[in-house]
Amino acid sequence: MILESVKEALEKMKKHGLQGDVYGMESRNLAYAINKGEVSDISDFEEVGLGIRVRKDGKLGFAYCVPGKEERGVLKAKELSGFSQKLDLTFPSTEKVSKVKNFDERILTVMDGGEGMDLARDMIEAVRDVKDDIVATNGALILYTDSIAVGNTSGTLLEGSSTSLLAGVTATIHGERTSLTASESDCSRRLDIDFRNLGRSSGEKVDSMRESSDTPTSPQTVVMSPDAFSGIFRFTLVPSISGENVRKNKSVYNGKLGESVADGKVNLVDDPTKDWGMGSRAFDDEGLSCTPLPVISDGVLKNFLYDLKEGVKSRTGSTGNGFRGSFKSPPMISDMNLILKGGDSETDAMFPERGVYIDEVMGAHTANPVSGDFSVVANSAWKIEKGQRAGRLDGMMISGNIHECMLRMELGDDHRRTFFRMGPRQIKLELPSVRISGMSVSGG
Amino acid sequence: MTLKKMVDGIVEQGARFCDVRKERWDVNHLVLKDGNVEQMVSGEEEGAMVRVLYGNGWGCVGTSALERLEDAARRALAMAKQNHTFKEEKTGVATINPVTCKEYMPAKIRFEDVSFQEKVSFMKEIHNFLERDWVKSADIIYRDSVVKKEIVNSEGTHVMMEIPRLVTYMVVTGKENGSIQQASEGGGGTGGYELREGAYEKVDTVLDRLRDLLGADTAPSGRLPLIMDHHLTGVFVHEAFGHAAEGDLVTSGNSCLARKLGEMVAGENVTITDDPTFPGYGSFPYDDEGTKARPRILVDGGKLNDYILDRESAWKLGLEPNGGARAEDFRVKPIVRMSNTLMKAGDMKLEELLEDVHRGIYARSSSGGQVSPAQGTFQFNAQVAYLVEKGEITKPLRDVSFSGFTLDTLRKITGITDEMKTGVGHCGKGQSAPVSDGGPQVLISEVTVGGR
Ligand SMILES: [Zn+2]
Repeated sequence: MILESVKEALEKMKKHGLQGDVYGMESRNLAYAINKGEVSDISDFEEVGLGIRVRKDGKLGFAYCVPGKEERGVLKAKELSGFSQKLDLTFPSTEKVSKVKNFDERILTVMDGGEGMDLARDMIEAVRDVKDDIVATNGALILYTDSIAVGNTSGTLLEGSSTSLLAGVTATIHGERTSLTASESDCSRRLDIDFRNLGRSSGEKVDSMRESSDTPTSPQTVVMSPDAFSGIFRFTLVPSISGENVRKNKSVYNGKLGESVADGKVNLVDDPTKDWGMGSRAFDDEGLSCTPLPVISDGVLKNFLYDLKEGVKSRTGSTGNGFRGSFKSPPMISDMNLILKGGDSETDAMFPERGVYIDEVMGAHTANPVSGDFSVVANSAWKIEKGQRAGRLDGMMISGNIHECMLRMELGDDHRRTFFRMGPRQIKLELPSVRISGMSVSGG
Repeated sequence: MTLKKMVDGIVEQGARFCDVRKERWDVNHLVLKDGNVEQMVSGEEEGAMVRVLYGNGWGCVGTSALERLEDAARRALAMAKQNHTFKEEKTGVATINPVTCKEYMPAKIRFEDVSFQEKVSFMKEIHNFLERDWVKSADIIYRDSVVKKEIVNSEGTHVMMEIPRLVTYMVVTGKENGSIQQASEGGGGTGGYELREGAYEKVDTVLDRLRDLLGADTAPSGRLPLIMDHHLTGVFVHEAFGHAAEGDLVTSGNSCLARKLGEMVAGENVTITDDPTFPGYGSFPYDDEGTKARPRILVDGGKLNDYILDRESAWKLGLEPNGGARAEDFRVKPIVRMSNTLMKAGDMKLEELLEDVHRGIYARSSSGGQVSPAQGTFQFNAQVAYLVEKGEITKPLRDVSFSGFTLDTLRKITGITDEMKTGVGHCGKGQSAPVSDGGPQVLISEVTVGGR
């Protein structure tokens, strides 16, 4: 159905003598909210819409509308094009796209059958099973599916469907003055999350927080879980690989292609063609076939990310990184499915004789996206003594600079998928635990 | 079928309560980068969400296809029934008086009467004011929106309202001696195009801040006294306190303020309100359950006096709903949110606060923060800070964040100035909500400072 609407909008563009592209989206989002040890409500949302971008006299204009209002959308986009700068942009004509697995029929079956309730309850019960005083106070199970169609006046017409699953739970031990909490989350394109394991893991985590320690003196060797490091990485390093930020001097990577920017073992690749990655997809939201893009190879900076528009401005062409978080957003540069790897140590083997283990950080969005400096609260953290997790650390802050961290970090082998959404932005990052020495810590 | 008939039909099938919130949005979003129009989005959309309470279970279904609304209501009922089957905790919606009313919040200059040309000219003018040798890049973001809402419930409430909002942001990046720094400033409120005027006075503020950042040192770490400017005080009351006062967190075991009503949670000098009727970016006449907005005095002279409540959390606590339910749009159900959160001014001058600081930090403005309301820990950062030595401001500092425990920190407020200012922001709690926050300048005797 969405494909028909995209075709209709393209027809209207041609009728008005315009070039352009159309992005159509039809989606459903079903959420089971968790509160106080049970599912507190169920909510469901369905929508469909079109994002229309036209090029008139070399200028781009954008508008969004619902199916049935295609011509109105095209004319609005045409009107707005008058305000933009001329840009020598050509819409790609894509015939073949990559093959990638990102659709699991079983997720639709669960959505239609209402079985999400059982999965959420499994997760909640597993929390309670750890100890009687541990409760799943917060969390959600979200099932999602969409159909995307992208077409343009150069003859591209692509369609694809995907599914995804997000699950998270916070386990709490209530105390007189303050409560202890620990969270666990997972995401997948298919129905392969072990919900009981997820619940148990958050329960066990909070159970190991009962004893407290004093914040050790700075500096410390810090081991961070994939979740904790992902929080910092997404707000500090990810902005600096955007081609636009590089061109505008808002990235410390400006002029550093080919140079060593990380430890020689570190590899960062944006690979949407990996089967079942959270951001896996056959084509980007501007109709280009997706391919793996090495960003950092063996510590050396290789490539930046570009969409069609920035590809023209930077004279590099698009790398297939045009993304729209919704039909209401014009395309923007985004990583699709980032994978950070380069280590082979098991997490426990990464533990130093003495140091700090951090499972979750708070406030990473306030980091400096230009310089890469960060200063965050370690929300679930433990002291490491004799290579083992000892008492929890309350209110400890860690601070540093991501680019300095990249040079001296060691990566583990415990890869996990993480997903983060903020407005139309989405960051899908697969990464392991990391160990960084010489980290500044304070407080508590 | 009318909305009223639809919700009544659901109640006739055994539901305890049903409401529908229909919304129509008109949005213009413009981005000017380095003086050129980079993004211009104009869109209109409508949709609705139906909520059903059956027994103790909730089902909420939203759709952008209004012709399928009755189907959405039926599905919401089925979901509520499924939820009820597995739910042990009793719940309900506290009583509000049913109202029928139309409330249009005023806009002196309506957005639809202003051409795109004029909006672009305004942004270009701001851009020109921001030009300096050392400013390498300047982005101006402008967004206006008008939402028309219609809320109908099975108890007879029928609220129609219109809320216009405008927000502007300027983000400037500077480079000097190899240092790249960024500063930003936002402005706006609830009202019409006249609100853009506020942006002009922010130009000097943001340039001064960037100038200081370019010459700034890294900050010390440790436990130090902190003086917060007005904007930072706002972020502090929002993050460190406000979230923990949200009724849904209080009733679900996720707040350090649970069961503390009537207790002293701060010094006697501290009064904090959350007030949707105050003219700010987070104002509204009725909340998204159709409850009339009213000021909430959360902390009165140090005593925890009230929570922010929607109908469900009020029911669970045996209190009266006070207009705390807000939804980002028709895609999501209303949850308890802040509106305009303010700390009341005291009687001191900034110089007097400084005098009390032997070695500490004076911090200005913020790009946000985060809180873990159950643990009662918070973090927020300062856009720029200054080292204070023996009562004197000595040098600028960058990349500094603060953290602490809410209940400890509120008791450590030892000085409050006599004038207040507010700022705009977007609060994230799974959904985004436009809010204002602010207050006087405040001295906290000790927080954890994370510098480098
Ligand atoms: Zn907030």
